[in-house]
Amino acid sequence: MNAPDQPSKAGAAGGEVVQLPAAPRATDIAIDELEMVYAFIYARVGNRADAEDLTQQVALKAIPRLRQGAPASAIRGYLFATARSVLGGFWSVRLGLSVSELHDDLAMVTPTGEYSEETAERAQRILAALSDNYRHVLELRFLHGYSLKEVAAEMRSTVGAVKVMQLRALRAAAKVRLDG
Amino acid sequence: MGDKRENRVEQIVNDLLRGRRLKLRPGDAEDKEAIIMAARLSAARQGPQRMTPAFRQRLSRQLESAPREGLLTRRAALVAGLGVAAGAVGGSILGRSLQLDHAPSPASASVVRPANGRWFDVGSLDDFQPGEAKLVKAGAVGAFVVRQGDSVSAVSSMCSDLPCELWWNNQSDMLVCPCHNRTFTAGGKSNDDWRYPLPSLDVVMARVNDGRVEVLGV
Repeated sequence: MNAPDQPSKAGAAGGEVVQLPAAPRATDIAIDELEMVYAFIYARVGNRADAEDLTQQVALKAIPRLRQGAPASAIRGYLFATARSVLGGFWSVRLGLSVSELHDDLAMVTPTGEYSEETAERAQRILAALSDNYRHVLELRFLHGYSLKEVAAEMRSTVGAVKVMQLRALRAAAKVRLDG
Repeated sequence: MGDKRENRVEQIVNDLLRGRRLKLRPGDAEDKEAIIMAARLSAARQGPQRMTPAFRQRLSRQLESAPREGLLTRRAALVAGLGVAAGAVGGSILGRSLQLDHAPSPASASVVRPANGRWFDVGSLDDFQPGEAKLVKAGAVGAFVVRQGDSVSAVSSMCSDLPCELWWNNQSDMLVCPCHNRTFTAGGKSNDDWRYPLPSLDVVMARVNDGRVEVLGV
């Protein structure tokens, strides 16, 4: 076996011990940051059970690898990177598609600043880009919680027609590309 | 009737609006865009969500009792290409510890210096096109080698953020992480203008010896 002429083995033999978190502080910071991660995930899966499972996966994957003393910004960045990866895996498994096939559909830009308004505002902007009928059916169904029957009555249509319109409206909404 | 896509999507929408877990089938991939959008709109209706106190407490307890990884992080082991044998090999990655709070100085790359390393012949210099990163394996060390004239340089094939192997996109001349699409230059520098900076890729030792490219591996 040829010994490398650089670096010297003496220089490489020291090794390095990476201090891992033992005290609760990094965990405490991470739990606070996980609130944002939870909201980020919830906004993409739309239900509490899946959001909790996925947030737990993010926490258990990322937090043991955080270093004690890491700043909150670094912890947040790492948690969101992990969250994107976990969400990609979630949809990939549920739909039986590869993550690369889903990439355009997931549009998982890390939220900037406070998260509170992002989801609702984004939904409003998507709906605003749709035709009147499509916007109306999705607003009634999703934002006002109408049943199919109620939507049909409101739109003077039939339940069957509303179902078809709902599917077409969702497909159209998915095609809307928002800037930023 | 049950096979009609509008019925199936309505079933999913109905579940979402009732707060139920997403139960999907492989056939639902046909309407992936509509389903993903339905989940987003359903969430928008409910407004920004916070963890319930019970879930927060449960999570906190789990984290407190979660096993810590070993002396090297998993990423450190993967960067060194050592996998589960990381602890046994005793390689060191010098110049930058692998902690996450080094993000403010993303340009500072460390050098992979495996203990008991040796040079691996990975091909003739002619096999490498100038400016194009080529993936090679020097034993357990994966690296992208780039030729500059008659010399070469190399960076680790593992993302500096997530433990995923990069790929070379020859359209954009970038190294791309498949796990979160962060990109790096062929020289290993993080190329994105994201909210958080990434460390550069670790440098792998490479040289040209008698017209052959050699990479330091283990």
